[in-house]
Amino acid sequence: MAAKTKIIKRRGESLPEKVYLIEVFKGMGVTLGHFLRNLRDNSRLYVRHYPEQKPEITPRWRGRHRLTTYEDGSIKCVACFMCQTACPSRCIMIEAGERLDGREEKMPVRFDIDLLECIYCGYCVEACPKDAIRMDTGIFSVVDHNRESMMIGLEELAATPGAFSEEEYTKGGI
Amino acid sequence: MSLLDTLLVMLRVSFGVFVPLCFIAVLVWMERRGAAFFQDRAGPNRANIFGFRAAGLVQNLADAAKLIFKEDVVPGHIKHKYYFILAPVIVFFTAVVSFAVVPFADTLVLGDRSYVMQAIPTDIGILWFLALAGFAVYGIILAGWSSTNKYGMLGGLRAAAQVISYEIPMGLALVSLLVVYGTVDLSEMARFQGQLLFGFIPMWGVILQPLGVIIFVIAAFAETNRTPFDLAEGESEIVAGFHVEYSAMKFAIFFMGEYVAMFTSSAIIVTLYFGSYQIPWLATDTLIAYAKPGAVLLMIGLPVIAYFFIGWMRHSNVSHYARPNDPRKREVTVYTKIVWGLVIVMEIALLVVLFSASGGVLAHIFVAELQIATFLLKTTLMCFVYVWVRWTLPRFRYDQLQKLGWQTLLPLSLLNILVTSAIVISVS
Repeated sequence: MAAKTKIIKRRGESLPEKVYLIEVFKGMGVTLGHFLRNLRDNSRLYVRHYPEQKPEITPRWRGRHRLTTYEDGSIKCVACFMCQTACPSRCIMIEAGERLDGREEKMPVRFDIDLLECIYCGYCVEACPKDAIRMDTGIFSVVDHNRESMMIGLEELAATPGAFSEEEYTKGGI
Repeated sequence: MSLLDTLLVMLRVSFGVFVPLCFIAVLVWMERRGAAFFQDRAGPNRANIFGFRAAGLVQNLADAAKLIFKEDVVPGHIKHKYYFILAPVIVFFTAVVSFAVVPFADTLVLGDRSYVMQAIPTDIGILWFLALAGFAVYGIILAGWSSTNKYGMLGGLRAAAQVISYEIPMGLALVSLLVVYGTVDLSEMARFQGQLLFGFIPMWGVILQPLGVIIFVIAAFAETNRTPFDLAEGESEIVAGFHVEYSAMKFAIFFMGEYVAMFTSSAIIVTLYFGSYQIPWLATDTLIAYAKPGAVLLMIGLPVIAYFFIGWMRHSNVSHYARPNDPRKREVTVYTKIVWGLVIVMEIALLVVLFSASGGVLAHIFVAELQIATFLLKTTLMCFVYVWVRWTLPRFRYDQLQKLGWQTLLPLSLLNILVTSAIVISVS
């Protein structure tokens, strides 16, 4: 079976192309066309007026992390250290403690993520056996005035709601 | 020296100094907004003072304020601090001073005295420009060398090699131009271009020297280190070239020097090839004789231009997203008032010209102002060509640059001299 081949003509060999100046003027014509079109009507610029117009975020998009909870508000995390082990930038710091509500054996007493270290690769989400950590908050702009406040803890992670419904998030299988 | 003489000296010198400086702001704005429009972007349009953004010009103020208040770092490894600081000064100073010989209007005759409208009324003209334009690259070389940085060094060396290669075709293109004009004085050249060829074509340099203008413009691009010849600061290869080690105001002076150089070389190109301050078919004498009809035409034309400008402004200065009582519309109403105010002031000035004695002092001043406006308009258009080329063409590779300079432009400029001389001899 002969593969379909497409022969692409090599450009730049003919005399008018070698003179170069003609091609320069053609190119300048193209750019001037864009310039004049935008000068006449600037409503068709390919820009998003960012702070006012937010980008659309899909459920697959990896934003800031959160820790999921059961319906009664207790945390799903079992402090198995899978995410901390998988993390390539070592930004997760977990301290495990005993769980007293009888649901599991362990729970984290400290769960810190250094957002300045995090590279948002999503390995922690993949590693988690309990679906306890997710990156579905839709928060993409993480800024603050000092380094200390970029370290977020257990309460803040658990308090952040997801930006998508369960059907949307699990569509196509976890 | 009478009071009038002193006043005119001050006027001319301040024109020669402040116009290039004002054009820095205009050119940076033109570069950024122009680049954005060439690439279907919006460009800087957020910086404002009380909601007035002046089409993005306020961004320049913000940038300038930032650069002035930044810490001025001189890295510890630099041994020759004096040369390190001298380098941007040379670049900026030569760029500003080389504009001093460019005439921006025809010789102004007031009563029995006449004034050459150049900042420095001298007849060495183009030689002054060549000397100073060649000297500007010393600043770049010095910056590269005194930075004690391999990238800076490479940038400086590239600039040096490039300027040596392109000074020659530039000089040779000028030689054939001098054969045509028969003078080095820029005022004389400008006056020459007010004549008509065969009685109906303006005798501009671009018509007499079609090949020379291409060579000169290419060489001028290379001289000012603009794309496609900005190898001296090729950021993909040598970070920022000669100004890697420069920060804050020292960098800003390099930056401003680049734009002043662009303005000056645009002014020189306009003076040499595009009729300087001459309005096509309207020589200075004709303009003075017909100052009143000209004033009437302008009085009719100005409101029409203002009307269309305001229409365009209303159409384009709006927020392109839902916004309760759009502040940009309020901005436009203020701009509209300013534009109409300016039109009224200009109409009054034109009325004064209209009711003055014909061929009198006011007519001379009116014509000089008209010529200054023409000159600045042409120079701005030429600066736009600089911006336009920058956002169209990619940078040349180093060997391509040298090949173009030595193997194409040099023989072409020699051929140009030969052909021009032959024609000039056979005609005269």
